[in-house]
Amino acid sequence: MEESKDIISSVTSNEYKEGFVTAIEQEFIPKGLNEDIIRLISAKKGEPEWLLDFRLGAFRRWQKMSVPKWAHLDIPEIDYQDIIYYAAPKAPKGEGEIDPELEKTFDKLGIPLSERQALAGNVAFDAVFDSVSVKTTFRKALSEKGIIFCSFSEAVRDYPELVRKHLASVVPVGDNFYSALNSAVFSDGSFCYIPKGVRCPMELSSYFRINASGTGQFERPLIIADEGSYVSYMEGCTAPMRDENQLHAAVVEIVVEKDAEVKYSTVQNWYPGDASGKGGIYNFVTKRGICKGSGSHLSWTQVETGSAITWKYPSTILKGDNSSSEFYSVAVTNNYQQADTGTKMIHIGRNTKSRIVSKGISAGHSQNSYRGLVKMMPGASGARNFSQCDSLLIGDKCGAHTFPVIENANPSAVVEHEATTSKISDEQLFYCNQRGIGPEAAVALIVNGYARDVLSKLPMEFAVEAKKLLAVSLEGSIG
Amino acid sequence: MKKVSIISPSCPAFSLPAEYAVGAGEELSLVIVVLPGVSVDIPLDITIEGEGASVNVDALYLCSGSEKVSLKVNMNHVSGGSVSNQLIRGVVGGNARTDFFGLIKVAPDAQKTEAYQSNYNLLLSEEAKVETRPQLEIYADDVKCSHGAAVGKLDEEEQFYMRSRGITLKEARALQMISFVSPVVEKIEDEATRTLVYNSLRTI
Repeated sequence: MEESKDIISSVTSNEYKEGFVTAIEQEFIPKGLNEDIIRLISAKKGEPEWLLDFRLGAFRRWQKMSVPKWAHLDIPEIDYQDIIYYAAPKAPKGEGEIDPELEKTFDKLGIPLSERQALAGNVAFDAVFDSVSVKTTFRKALSEKGIIFCSFSEAVRDYPELVRKHLASVVPVGDNFYSALNSAVFSDGSFCYIPKGVRCPMELSSYFRINASGTGQFERPLIIADEGSYVSYMEGCTAPMRDENQLHAAVVEIVVEKDAEVKYSTVQNWYPGDASGKGGIYNFVTKRGICKGSGSHLSWTQVETGSAITWKYPSTILKGDNSSSEFYSVAVTNNYQQADTGTKMIHIGRNTKSRIVSKGISAGHSQNSYRGLVKMMPGASGARNFSQCDSLLIGDKCGAHTFPVIENANPSAVVEHEATTSKISDEQLFYCNQRGIGPEAAVALIVNGYARDVLSKLPMEFAVEAKKLLAVSLEGSIG
Repeated sequence: MKKVSIISPSCPAFSLPAEYAVGAGEELSLVIVVLPGVSVDIPLDITIEGEGASVNVDALYLCSGSEKVSLKVNMNHVSGGSVSNQLIRGVVGGNARTDFFGLIKVAPDAQKTEAYQSNYNLLLSEEAKVETRPQLEIYADDVKCSHGAAVGKLDEEEQFYMRSRGITLKEARALQMISFVSPVVEKIEDEATRTLVYNSLRTI
């Protein structure tokens, strides 16, 4: 055993292959945050008056709010005046053209921006580079079915009524400190509308890339699934390796109408910082969906391997009768990463169902928490929830925590929660080693088995990537 | 050391100490029963400071009116090699409010700790509300820790089974509740007290 531990500990720090920087001419606005900056961002995007008012209102609220302190996280003081709130690659000459450098960048990240190349995968991408969406693929093919898939800025221009109706309808501006900040300074994000009865023929995907130094990314995806429609939506993200901490504060809103189904998958791979905990992204994200109509369904699947600090609780409001929601999560922390993540399931409608499966894996000196709320309102007759939260500890310097809250105010609603904490046993490792599977591969194998319930819910395009990512994230974690 | 506290309208205060330090090889067993008609706040702070210690907390709260019952347990494993076990049951009717908070904290060097906790509740009326917050904070890897919590109702199929055999609904419900609370009640050695607890279920 000792010898095998040596072999693993000799493996140096993680490989973060997305850690490169794209050398491209970019446009920045001055550092800092005030009403003039917000007016400037709004003007850069050519926004209508109502949206500027929305931003300013949010900013005024944000100024009165304080940073949430309840999470099991050690967050260093962030100087919000020391961040550049808007950075965009300089626009190329022709309309609809894209800078070859950018195309190369996304190519390297595995995101084909030219539709010809994308034959293999059946995925439409919206690629966001710092503060702007650079390209949305397959728009034409999608629009034939009436599906709108474009950047948020374009949606504001082309479909203002839809945006205005749903913006901040799920996550109110003053919901929390970071959602208020996002509402004031959000830059881009994907907008997606699936009309009545339409089954989206391909996976829709947003890819978020932070490139510029000293900036933050504040995107704002909005997904609306009209009656009886279906869409599977994926989100990926990466950033360069830097010694500074960069802030990413997104707000994701999802509206699911009667009998519609939305599947939202995330593979979060922001730069996690180096082995000594220097650098990395602060990922403070508010994601929430509402199952508005009866029989609607929203499923969250997330694989969280990146970020120095993660503060994220994708939640569902189950308002429609017989609506249902699921939350599947794998969160991996290594070195000095910290994660406080989980979900909220608010049951309002009758016979609403939810299921939570959370798998936390902590290694190195990291801290990994599951935090959840299951709330049965008085009207949630016949509602049902089941939660399963497991933690796996690798090494004796890390921590794994579980903080669920259950509130039940309806006698016919049933809520169950169970959680366990365990480690990879010496027997398991020995069994693998004895059969010629190296310690590193054995850990990957065991972790993959442990996270299988969640990984199996990912769309195929993501599942392969996620499995590799789990193995890489845990490299050098034993010893 | 075993301590039993029965909190009832005639004896409405929680009479046991709130803080306990458990040393190596020591045993501590607390049995707490809150009978209908009492609102009470129970804080428990237990620190396990030595190896081979064993701690059991068995608690039961029964509410049928407008009671407010809160139970807070801090189970602190400072030293490893010990076992703690919490078994907490609640039967909540009327327009009562109950709140259970239970934290199991395992310190960085408290290896070989075993800590278990379960909080199961029966919610019997439209106006009542149950809140439960079981929490785990684990800083050591070679441990066995688990918690479970549930809020549910009486199983109707069981009731049907009994009623189809001539047992009245009222009696069937009483039998169901007796079986639900018995793991805690059976920890009480005095038979008269056990009967008192079982009989009080019939008032809910």
